[in-house]
Amino acid sequence: MLKAKVILVAIGVALAVPQAQAGSTPEEDRKETVEYFKQMFPDVAIEEFVNGQYALDEDRRSQWESMQDFPPYEFAVAEGQEMFETPFANGKTYASCFENGGIGVRQNYPYFDTEKNEVITLELAINRCREANGEEPLGWKKGAIASISAYMASTSQGKPISIKVPDDPDALAAYQDGKEFYYSRRGQLNFSCASCHVQNPGKWIRADLLSPTIGQPANFPVHRSKWGELGTLHRRFAGCNNNVRAEPLPAQSEEYRNLEYFLTYMSNGLPVVGPATRP
Amino acid sequence: MNKPLLTIGVLLALSVPLAAQAGPKEDFNDLYAKAQSTHKDAGTFQWTVTSDRLEAAKTAAADGDYEKAEAMANEALKLAEESVAQRKKQQEAWRNVAIGN
Ligand code: HEC
Repeated sequence: MLKAKVILVAIGVALAVPQAQAGSTPEEDRKETVEYFKQMFPDVAIEEFVNGQYALDEDRRSQWESMQDFPPYEFAVAEGQEMFETPFANGKTYASCFENGGIGVRQNYPYFDTEKNEVITLELAINRCREANGEEPLGWKKGAIASISAYMASTSQGKPISIKVPDDPDALAAYQDGKEFYYSRRGQLNFSCASCHVQNPGKWIRADLLSPTIGQPANFPVHRSKWGELGTLHRRFAGCNNNVRAEPLPAQSEEYRNLEYFLTYMSNGLPVVGPATRP
Repeated sequence: MNKPLLTIGVLLALSVPLAAQAGPKEDFNDLYAKAQSTHKDAGTFQWTVTSDRLEAAKTAAADGDYEKAEAMANEALKLAEESVAQRKKQQEAWRNVAIGN
């Protein structure tokens, strides 16, 4: 434990990020972030970042590629499809709640709903759909919701992520809020998300190789060998908060939804590759 | 010495240490309340280690171990104060490291 902390503290002081002018737009942020990672990893094609740590390490990547013939999430995706297609008690299905019947739409989530004034993630939309049809909501982090989300992602494979921040002060505020969360230090170890994923991707923390910000949400939901099952993005957020001894926030809290909004915007243009596997 | 007098004597002797202080339970309750409200002030910057200490303090108090309960609550308070300071500092500090600002 102590050793881990020493390593973390050492990493925390490495590399400073270039400072930019105040008041930049989401699109300016994204371009600058892409540029930053291009300079950090000149040999890695930007689309490759959706593979997270596997984009950055040959050995890990070849181990991972050999796993892809029999991906451990296959059963969950099939189960997710079945649940997705099975009518609710009122006879309607999930398809009735989504654009294009929910097929090939993953890349548009999360979006900002200018009427409800909040960020709508795919998992939130799934549970709202259930509730609108008189069904109980599902648990947020794993199980049925992860399977349904995985199925929906699988129908969007390869589509470029396309998050929009509409010209609306509340939408911009939600984006900014997520950005602030990403860059604010938290927990007893005093780390921000950026301390690890902006300043130190490609470096090792104990047995873990740190992935870069860009591409991070593209592979969700994810089957982690550590979990032995699929989990949602907010489950990962909670784990990363917890690792620096920061109290995680509830899955689908406004804070985590705004964080997802910012983080996914940074990956605009990169392909959806979820579900995927990670250690 | 007759029996009633002895009883009064013993009672008096026992009540002295209790009267001298508010009592370990009350002391603990005050401290715990302060630690808890400081922890709450940290908002989205709460630390897990603070929650752990608060939990341990509560358990010790329920077991009647007020010495340990107070020690845990004291640690919780210190940690909670640090997390509040972190929250205040980060309100501005995050901008200095953000890409695009
Ligand atoms: C102490 C370092 C550290 C901090 C701080 C940290 N993470 Fe992580 N994170 C990791 C490690 C290690 C992994 C697993 C290796 C990897 O994929 O980067 C990971 C993985 C992830 C992944 C999955 C990437 C993938 O390819 O599947 C996401 C998303 C993520 N982190 C987001 C965040 C967010 C958001 C925050 C801030 C709330 C954060 N992390 C803070 C260390 C950290």
